[in-house]
Amino acid sequence: MRLQTRKRLAAIGVLSPPLLWALVFLFIPYLIMFTYSFYLKKFPTFEAAFQFGNYAQLLLDPQYYQVLLRTAKISIMVAIFSALLGYPFAYFLVFKIRSNRMRALLYMAVIVPLWVSYLLRAYTWKTILGSEGILNSFLVTTGILDKPTDIFLYNQFSMVLTLTYIYVPFIVMPAYASLEKIPRNLIEASKDLGVRPLRTFWSITLPLSTPGIAAGMTISFCLTFGDFIAPILVGGPDGFMIANVITAQFGAALNWPLGAALSIVMLVVVLTIISLSDRLQRSGKLEIA
Amino acid sequence: MSNRVKKLLKSTVAMTAASCIFASSAWSAGQVNLLTWEGYADDSFVKQFEEESGCEVSATYVGSNDDFAPKLAAGGGVYDMISPSIDTTKIMIEAGFVEEIDTSKVPRFSEIYEKFSTADGINHDGKVYGVPFSWGSIPFMYRTDKISEADAPTSLKALWDPKYKGKISLWDDKSSLYVAARVMGTMNIYELNDTELDAAKAKLIEQKPLVRKYWSTAGELVDLYAGGEVWISNTWGGYQSNLLAEKNIPVKEFIPEEGAEGWMDSWMVVKGTANTECVYKFLNMAISEHGQCGMSNYNGYSSSNPVAAKKCMSPEQFTKLHQDDPDYLDSLLLWVNLGARLEHYTNAWNAVKSAN
Repeated sequence: MRLQTRKRLAAIGVLSPPLLWALVFLFIPYLIMFTYSFYLKKFPTFEAAFQFGNYAQLLLDPQYYQVLLRTAKISIMVAIFSALLGYPFAYFLVFKIRSNRMRALLYMAVIVPLWVSYLLRAYTWKTILGSEGILNSFLVTTGILDKPTDIFLYNQFSMVLTLTYIYVPFIVMPAYASLEKIPRNLIEASKDLGVRPLRTFWSITLPLSTPGIAAGMTISFCLTFGDFIAPILVGGPDGFMIANVITAQFGAALNWPLGAALSIVMLVVVLTIISLSDRLQRSGKLEIA
Repeated sequence: MSNRVKKLLKSTVAMTAASCIFASSAWSAGQVNLLTWEGYADDSFVKQFEEESGCEVSATYVGSNDDFAPKLAAGGGVYDMISPSIDTTKIMIEAGFVEEIDTSKVPRFSEIYEKFSTADGINHDGKVYGVPFSWGSIPFMYRTDKISEADAPTSLKALWDPKYKGKISLWDDKSSLYVAARVMGTMNIYELNDTELDAAKAKLIEQKPLVRKYWSTAGELVDLYAGGEVWISNTWGGYQSNLLAEKNIPVKEFIPEEGAEGWMDSWMVVKGTANTECVYKFLNMAISEHGQCGMSNYNGYSSSNPVAAKKCMSPEQFTKLHQDDPDYLDSLLLWVNLGARLEHYTNAWNAVKSAN
């Protein structure tokens, strides 16, 4: 066998399992979902058809864009708060901690919660934030409040808090990686030229770590955008998100076509965010070169 | 290939195939998979059935009647029996999810309340599709240590009362619309037209700032009461109040002035079940003394077979569960199949949950 043929066969051998996986478990399901989004709801279930009624309904009935806007608002808040907490922590790890062992320990401390089930962590917040929860007991026994308050749980606050807690590690990891890669001599050169630390941060460190922040914020935004557990566990009557609407369409309403159309809309939103973030990350890389 | 090898191969294949078939039939003959409500497959009465019949019972729980169709529509032949309420049974029949029940194999079927056994929801084209199992009401419930006797709520208006702000809960179900319609004095809750449905929707949206959480499973409502989050809500009569009593949380059920909905659950057989034998054993157990009192004792619901109930209940329990009082049942607004209107109800309820 000629070398080239052998190489090509090897490449096919290595690539075909993941390609097959992507085809069977990603592309075909997307295609099925896309097809369903044109089907027609007909009591008691639905029938095959090709019409745009489902998409029209999404545009005309205000309940859908209300929920989309709310989901976007919550996702943006989670992404921003996660970045505000995660980025300084990563910065602190990379630039301020001298001991390697200490750095590894603190890094692990952030990552370890990821090993615990998401469900369990969300559930734990219920016991902390509830009317008779840990936080309320503390506030009442210390005399800060004279009676327990309801404002901590079953609203958008508790959802943003829980989701932020869950997604902070997703910011710390990429931010840490991008901060660590910044050549130290750039920062030293800046210092030698008499630039103050804050200015150095704004013109060197932050721009060069933007790809990491962007990657982290994209992940936390997209995962929040598709979340339906937090609304169920810690969300209140105003916590219904887009994934809950989709669940309801595939469930109670038995309107799979509308659920599929909603899923397609969601897919488009998420893909747009990812491609925008990709552009941002690439622009950051160009600056290094 | 030599003839000998071919023969050997053939027989091996045949044997493997045969043993597979044998294994799978032996495995499937002895079980029954339920898609049902929490409490309908409780060990307190199902364990004995398993031992006596040799049928292994496994159960998946639903939180609402709207959960049956999606689970069955997804296919897969996972479930053998379901136990939807009387408003959902017809949809199961029309969608072709369930099969006819041979009542000659269920001898005690004739003992069931006639109002139930002849109900339109489980009879279709002269065939029987369901075996009535239990019934009850959807009353309301409040915590007696938080709401004083003098303040005891008697009307649904209490659920719109700002003094209970943040302590109110409603079932995450289309039945919320029934509640909202009644509080506005609309009593034909199963025949709401678009205007009335919109009004009910608006009423529920108006209530949202007062609501702590919409409860979706029996266990969740119990947790909400036990954790002090909720003081007043609707409930599955007898069920959550019993669970809360065990936890020493003082609650009291009441039927509001605006009336209460009634429900009746029937066992139905999923089309194409491979476990027919166990299914019929289970059906017969369900309406026997063992199944009826097992269900009533654990859940606090009323029985569908008064003959069996009379034998296995104490006179007090028999009276308490209104087994001797058919008028009580007539006073309830028994759930009905909404037909094609169902879509409008579920859509309205989703709109309430989506609203800001």
